[in-house]
Amino acid sequence: MLVKYLVRRLFASVVVVLGVTAITLVLMDRTRGTYVPGIDLNPNLRPDDIERLRANLGLDRPFYVWYITWLWNVLHGDFGRSMIDGSPVMSHILDRLPNTLELTATAILMGVLLSIPLGVIGALRRGSKVDHGLTVVSVAGFAVPQFWLGLLLILFFSVTFEQHGWPWLPSSGATSPLGGGDILDRLQHLIMPATVLSFFYLSLWSRFTRSSMLEVLSQDYIRTARAKGMGERRVVYLHGLRNALIPLITLVGLELPGLVSGGLVVEVVFGWPGIGRLLFERALQYDYSTVMGVTFFATLLVIAGNLLADVLYAVLDPRIRYA
Amino acid sequence: MSMLGQTPATEIEAPISTFEGAATRPAQSYWNESWERLRANRIGMGAGILIVILGAIAIAAPLFTQFLTHYEPYRLDLLSTFQPPGQPHLLGTDELGRDTLTRLIYGGRVSLGVAFLTVGLSLTLGTTVGLVAGYYGRWVDDILMRIVDTVLSIPAIFLFILMSILFRPNPITLAMIIASVGWGGVARLVRGEVLSVKQRDFIMATRSIGARDLRLIAIHLLPNVLPVLIVAASLGVGQIILIEAALDFLGLGIQPPTASWGNMLTNAQSYFFHSVWLVYFPGVTIFITVLASNVFGNAVRDAFDPRLK
Amino acid sequence: MPETLLEVQDLHTVFKTKAGVVKAVDGVSFEISPGETLGIVGESGSGKSVTALSVMRLQRPGKIVSGKVMFKGRDLTKVSEGEMREVRGQDIAMIFQDPMTSLNPVFRTGWQVAEPVRLHHGLEKAKAMDVAVSMLGKVGIPSPATRARDYPHQFSGGMRQRAMIAMGLTTTPKVLIADEPTTALDVTIQAQILDLLRHVNRDFGTATILITHNLGVVAGMCERVMVMYAGRVVEAGPTVDVFAHPKHPYTWSLLRSIPRLDAERHEPLKPIEGLPPDLIDLPTGCAFHPRCKFTIERCSRDVPVLNRVGDTQLAACWVTQSGVELKGA
Repeated sequence: MLVKYLVRRLFASVVVVLGVTAITLVLMDRTRGTYVPGIDLNPNLRPDDIERLRANLGLDRPFYVWYITWLWNVLHGDFGRSMIDGSPVMSHILDRLPNTLELTATAILMGVLLSIPLGVIGALRRGSKVDHGLTVVSVAGFAVPQFWLGLLLILFFSVTFEQHGWPWLPSSGATSPLGGGDILDRLQHLIMPATVLSFFYLSLWSRFTRSSMLEVLSQDYIRTARAKGMGERRVVYLHGLRNALIPLITLVGLELPGLVSGGLVVEVVFGWPGIGRLLFERALQYDYSTVMGVTFFATLLVIAGNLLADVLYAVLDPRIRYA
Repeated sequence: MSMLGQTPATEIEAPISTFEGAATRPAQSYWNESWERLRANRIGMGAGILIVILGAIAIAAPLFTQFLTHYEPYRLDLLSTFQPPGQPHLLGTDELGRDTLTRLIYGGRVSLGVAFLTVGLSLTLGTTVGLVAGYYGRWVDDILMRIVDTVLSIPAIFLFILMSILFRPNPITLAMIIASVGWGGVARLVRGEVLSVKQRDFIMATRSIGARDLRLIAIHLLPNVLPVLIVAASLGVGQIILIEAALDFLGLGIQPPTASWGNMLTNAQSYFFHSVWLVYFPGVTIFITVLASNVFGNAVRDAFDPRLK
Repeated sequence: MPETLLEVQDLHTVFKTKAGVVKAVDGVSFEISPGETLGIVGESGSGKSVTALSVMRLQRPGKIVSGKVMFKGRDLTKVSEGEMREVRGQDIAMIFQDPMTSLNPVFRTGWQVAEPVRLHHGLEKAKAMDVAVSMLGKVGIPSPATRARDYPHQFSGGMRQRAMIAMGLTTTPKVLIADEPTTALDVTIQAQILDLLRHVNRDFGTATILITHNLGVVAGMCERVMVMYAGRVVEAGPTVDVFAHPKHPYTWSLLRSIPRLDAERHEPLKPIEGLPPDLIDLPTGCAFHPRCKFTIERCSRDVPVLNRVGDTQLAACWVTQSGVELKGA
């Protein structure tokens, strides 16, 4: 049962991947016709030089040849070369990927670990001041622009703290350029961007946990549990929470595919050397092929992530497995 | 219905009498009832009014700036750069001596304009696709939904950035760029609704009297799908404003000198030391607008969502 | 007279709502002796479920405002929550109407069935599971050891209800309260479950309170029956007698309204006219009088008191208490 379900999903994923390649390359095609590689570095290129450079990058071949070549390369892990300096996109990606994962995984973890208690408190003390306070914070959390929040944190914890002589947090990078790299240093750099990134998750998930808990606690099987003479704590945390967490896991799972791209804005604001920032830097330089390669890579991760999320869900909820 | 002249049996189990007692209320149409619920929600209505005010200010921007601030958004005044809030610049000036308040007002035009246009485009395209996919089913549905899956698989912000450097956006094309992903979610939502409505008997009944497909879709399916759309739209506006602001901030959306709340913050880090107000004002404006939009959106959802009844 | 096991005295449970105070249980008294079967009959809103929940002190958000529930010499309405928890599931067990929603979907069935015995008797996992499996077998579930590892949704409706019954019995409680145990099941399965409940009552000696709106179920299963209307007991007595000569117009109307196979073909059915009362705004006097065919002047003034009418029955009706026999077309 599980295997059949997975095979179906895998097949659908492959179809989607092919669709993405189509969209991607159609977009890219727009640039092929006119782009002159290296024009920014040397505005005085002669026409035959231009032709040679374009031929090198394969820009003069018909679309379908280009498409096949591109697909072939991708299957071998070659996601293209930068239009600026010819460096392989894949190596940039591999360089930066761990940083991005470090950031987003931390943010998601923080989000989950904080949302669950907040949501449970909100549900158990429904209608109280604490609950209302949490709701207000939640609603506000949705409205704050991420980049602005990041700027504010830097303003306070880096700039203002330093001005006042208090211990201040570094405002950019993943590690300090001089003598950094140890755990404490990394943590110092990580905490602000991760907090900003987790803020949105926190708002969303704590509210969701709360409503999920409320719904679960009104179910018949909770009444049965109480009728069996169970203590309230057991009823709420064992019988209740276990059910309430299932939809939350689904929700968290939905974020996993976006793990790679979700942190772009935060990476830019905090100068975090990740995939998002890579894309941004290259975009400013109009390095189309790098931007393309990175986008495609991220898309592949999204599709794989979706597949993984479906698997997790099937594992956790026995009803899906045997359906 | 009684058959053969017999009176129907009352089951021993009587109609449910709730703890509220068997009280009766006059029946109301779905729309009236929803409007009333919305109006009863004072916080939600307050937020809605705020949005309307902001919208009005945005639309009538030239009027406002003429009487309120006496400045134009592009007017440089290199002699009064980085003026703190006070007279005559109520909210201060930026690095080129442009009046902040004026630019905020004009920026509202851009941000709100792009947001509403995006919502409109997303809803139009998404609803059409969703209706067709849900109604015709089978291979039409499969193909359309695969396309939606494909579009939704690409990380949105990456795609936006890619398209921004390919197409050099103005407000209208920016709205098109953001909508190019947004429609997917709408399509899925609408398709889901159509599938559930399709099951209901009145569709079968209407078909059986020979109604044509288009008529069925437009007159019968669409109104039932509207509530979900209303809810989605009202909750989506806030998110779109944030996305657009982020793109502008990155320098990849609306370019200066056109003012937008996002691009007023592009150089924010350089304002930290001497003109902090330039960091606060645009951000707070975005925050309040999105907050009002979200609160109103929640109120609309609470009032109109048929599933919450 | 056998010693009374559970005695409810003048119980009042209310729910505070926006529209007013709902008197869900409005002065209910009854008792049950070891091994007895008692049926509580009434329509939706008559207060039968809330009565049972009140006995278990699970009536939240309602409040028990007065009355006593005497069990083993203690008033359960007054004991601490901790003491009540010991009674629940161990001395008094309750099973509910819809076994699909009443069983936790994410835990294996055997685990849930074993839970009361694990908690109350402190048995370790393996021993508790043995007890559960054995009980699952006794309630008629084939291959109980394998099925104990299944999840609730893998069971059919009837099997699920059997599992619920097993869950209630593992601790060998003195009283089993079954709240509409057959309502959510197919008719053929209903018969099987009732059969099971009968066997349980016989073999384990568990006093059984069966709550239902279906007179047929009561007839097949309960020695005594109690009829409720608008939160009050209107009639009580041995089932045979109550069914043969009902002493309250409501019971009488109920029995009359059941369609009969041996009736004439074109004979019109006889529903009870009118609607059930608003529990916030009950009629003055007898709650049933607006719909009653036998009503006299006193009925709209004074609330009838439950009193002996005939040899074995109790009825709360001024009319029958004054000797009138209920007859009619």
